[in-house]
Amino acid sequence: MIELDSVYGAFTLLSSDGNAWLYLLPGLLIGLVFGAMPGISITMAMAFALPATLYMDFLPAIIFLTAIYTGAGFGGSVPAVLMGIPGTSSAVATTFDGYPMARKGLHSEALGIALASSVIGCLASYAMLFVLIVPISGVVLKLGPLEMFAVAVWGMLLLGSLAGAHISRGILAGTFGVLLGTIGMNTAGFVRGTVGIPWLLDGVPQIPAMMGLLAASQLIGLINTTYLIEDESSRKISFAKILGGVRQCFRYPTIIFRGSLIGVIIGAIPGVGSSISNLLSYSETKRNAPDGDTFGEGNPKGVIAAEAANSSSEGGAMATMLALGIPGGGATAILLAAFAMHNIVGGPSFIAHNKDIVYAIMFSNFAQAILLFFVGLGFVYVAGYVVRVPLRFLIPSVLVVSTFGAYAIEGSSAGPITLWVFSVLGWGMVRYGYPVAAAVVGLLLGGLLEGNLLRTNQISGGDFIGYGLERPWALVIFALMIGSILLQIVSKRRRAKEAFLSTGSSS
Amino acid sequence: MSKTLTRRTILKVASGGLAASFAMPAILRAQGAYPDRPINIVVPFDTGGYNDRLARAFAPFLQEKLGQPLTIINRGGAGALLGHTFFLQQPDDGYTLLCTSAAPYLPLNILTQDAAFKLEDFYMVNLPSQDYTLMATSAGSDIQTVDDVISRLKADPGSLSVGLQPASADLVNFSILCAANEIDTNAVRVVTYDGGGPARNAVAGGVVDVGLVGGEGFLPLAEQIRPLMTFDTRKRDNWDGAIVTDVLGADADFVVGSQRGWGLHGSMQTSNPEVFQTLVSAIEAASKDPAAIEGLKNQQLATDWYGPEESNQMLARTAKVMEQYIDLLKGN
Amino acid sequence: MSNRSGRTVVWGHLILLTVIVGVVVAYLLDARGVSLRTNNLLLVQPAAILALVLAAFILPSIFPRVEATEEVETKEEVETKVETRGDLFRIFILIAALAGLAFSLEVVGFDVATFAFMVIGLAVCGEKRWWVIILFSALFTVFLIYGYGTITPFPFPLTIL
Repeated sequence: MIELDSVYGAFTLLSSDGNAWLYLLPGLLIGLVFGAMPGISITMAMAFALPATLYMDFLPAIIFLTAIYTGAGFGGSVPAVLMGIPGTSSAVATTFDGYPMARKGLHSEALGIALASSVIGCLASYAMLFVLIVPISGVVLKLGPLEMFAVAVWGMLLLGSLAGAHISRGILAGTFGVLLGTIGMNTAGFVRGTVGIPWLLDGVPQIPAMMGLLAASQLIGLINTTYLIEDESSRKISFAKILGGVRQCFRYPTIIFRGSLIGVIIGAIPGVGSSISNLLSYSETKRNAPDGDTFGEGNPKGVIAAEAANSSSEGGAMATMLALGIPGGGATAILLAAFAMHNIVGGPSFIAHNKDIVYAIMFSNFAQAILLFFVGLGFVYVAGYVVRVPLRFLIPSVLVVSTFGAYAIEGSSAGPITLWVFSVLGWGMVRYGYPVAAAVVGLLLGGLLEGNLLRTNQISGGDFIGYGLERPWALVIFALMIGSILLQIVSKRRRAKEAFLSTGSSS
Repeated sequence: MSKTLTRRTILKVASGGLAASFAMPAILRAQGAYPDRPINIVVPFDTGGYNDRLARAFAPFLQEKLGQPLTIINRGGAGALLGHTFFLQQPDDGYTLLCTSAAPYLPLNILTQDAAFKLEDFYMVNLPSQDYTLMATSAGSDIQTVDDVISRLKADPGSLSVGLQPASADLVNFSILCAANEIDTNAVRVVTYDGGGPARNAVAGGVVDVGLVGGEGFLPLAEQIRPLMTFDTRKRDNWDGAIVTDVLGADADFVVGSQRGWGLHGSMQTSNPEVFQTLVSAIEAASKDPAAIEGLKNQQLATDWYGPEESNQMLARTAKVMEQYIDLLKGN
Repeated sequence: MSNRSGRTVVWGHLILLTVIVGVVVAYLLDARGVSLRTNNLLLVQPAAILALVLAAFILPSIFPRVEATEEVETKEEVETKVETRGDLFRIFILIAALAGLAFSLEVVGFDVATFAFMVIGLAVCGEKRWWVIILFSALFTVFLIYGYGTITPFPFPLTIL
């Protein structure tokens, strides 16, 4: 499916305008900095830069914007690892193991692992794009509500593995999250649970709620601790250890490959994207790992799984955008706007007639991924100094930063208030053995779950099974899911025999 | 690769990176007179939607006329209710403009969401984008014409699934079509989507049998769909298929789709008449600027100048029709 | 902790579970009040019932038997036990200060609210030197407002800065 003429054309295009490459570095840096600020989304970073691209040529403009996209995608992982703050929903699963690693003094390794998995995931996704762009575009639009519902249920399986020591508390936390995730106007136009607050019409603001549950709740509980990492000698930032993390990453090619594949496929589905793919990849990796029980306590495989999936979602989203001309999310909508500014309309005819541009975009993204590795090394090294700040400074500072970030999302107090409510709730949940991560997963998936369950019901006229039999893709997803659960049960039995009682109060 | 690093290039890169949002206005006017500081444009939707794209694309031309940079503020949420309320809360000194889908959202806010404002609190300077409902099916579907749809629904209302958005002009139009053909709307398998984009994707992918969604957004998907019927009295965007008057007769009842464009505080007419006039003239001049027309057309965005009188009348007319169908709009 | 017929009460847990159950019940009633159609209740009603059933299963662990208390405490209440009353008090002050920050940002301005929170926060978290508290709070406030201010599309309401 690779056409050499177009590949050649792409190289001509990329080499004809050497100045285009100058935008790579500033783009990545803007992306990294914006992405690392909690509450500043990839979309915001790209919207911020959009006016500047008006005065650029087409190729530099696209290179600049996609560089921001790539940079911001990784930027969000840095606070996720160092402070457990998921600045975007795509970094949620990164906090599950990245943050515990940092607490254990493995912050350098964790950041190195995150960086390497992101870079490889990004490379892999654009490599897959070469082969997959046409078939993906054929399938994506045909995915109906039942398939999407299956994806959402698949994500919910994660609840089982996040439950920790008390299964009932874990599932309650997840169910509670799902319920909170359905507050507001549902897909059929019914408004529930808003208690008269207008901004709840769109549901509970997800990112402030996540920051509250995962990060602020932890920080409040750390009030008696002096440093994020108790052991003073582990508080060093070392390039050698970051590179060690990078090397560690290469030991798990299967996890990276699975993560990238999940990332590309889920990323290509409009409206789902990286916020779900990182959860699915984490969940699958945990289920298949022999040491699955140590996930959530700082297992590097968890970081690899999450990061490979969220960074490769970019490639998937680009496939949908290029092939169909429809944006899967905010970031690709901005890219389409930039296309339009230069009189280029995405869609099937665009790909057919401008293969050289498509390949040029892919090649420039390869370059971005590689450059991200080096820029990221420096960025991560500097950011790592956070662990050396005493907690008595760090706790109030991070709480304020999270509050600012929560405000920045919508520009109203809705964010900070949500953050506060959920940090108190999260603190209580952590205290009494309810896994906050389960509530976060429920919150993220609640809307997707309800919307697609409803549409399945509407479209099938209530006849789920009859409709399901007409949808082979949905059957495939459900079959894969059931197989995966059975495997888990078998391996869990095996493990239960071997392992002796271990307290797993992970959160 | 020839790398000629001129100072200009470096400067361009640096300015592109650091001061991205502060694109310089071409004409800098003397201080003191309005406007002497940057002007905000409130878009009551998130980044990436039609209004956001319209505001961002139009802003460079408008700021050229006004001589001050324009900053776009996205205040999405609650069907534009939050953004509209926020806009009215800003002083009516001409430093806050609005770019919104006046219809259907202003009437919807008022009719179904108990908004604390009236239609007259807003003054629409120009509503260049006049969307319309398009009924379409997937390109590969066995449905060829709107008559196929009607005859199948008449025979068995449950035979087709219909994708649309709740509380929308499209839903009202579909109900009118059903009522005219004695089809029980409640028995039709209506599938509700959270936005126009997902609904259109479902149509293009054949997930739903037919869909009724705003027609302008279908343009990028033109190759994957088959247009069946345009809810307007004339052909729009060269879509094939019927127009509403072919099917429902010359005096057909229907609701127009989104009417999007530029608004000001209604109170400004009396409180700040000079500033008001400056803004209206600037928007008019920018809308008629050939460079703006060319630039926006390429992005499939509208710049047609209808003027305040016609724009406000169109909006009021739509609000009136929507009031008749308030029950439909309130709940599905 | 009070004793009654061989059982104790984990009060904090009781409060948490009450809040969760309260929210779920209120939400279910509100949703049912809006409409009883499938399009409204398809997911919400079963999920709410599931949540209530689960809560009923958890209820006994809030009233552990005294003989079981030892085990429960070592196993699941580790964090509770390390905290003294003083620590808990400090946590509540921090939570209250965060509430103050969230609710007053737009009222008193970001500069004032942030500075006040930083001062309280640093003091509660254990910084003793008052001049460090004032200096760090002021610098961090200025840094944040200008830092976030340049990249956020929204203006921050300010009072002094």
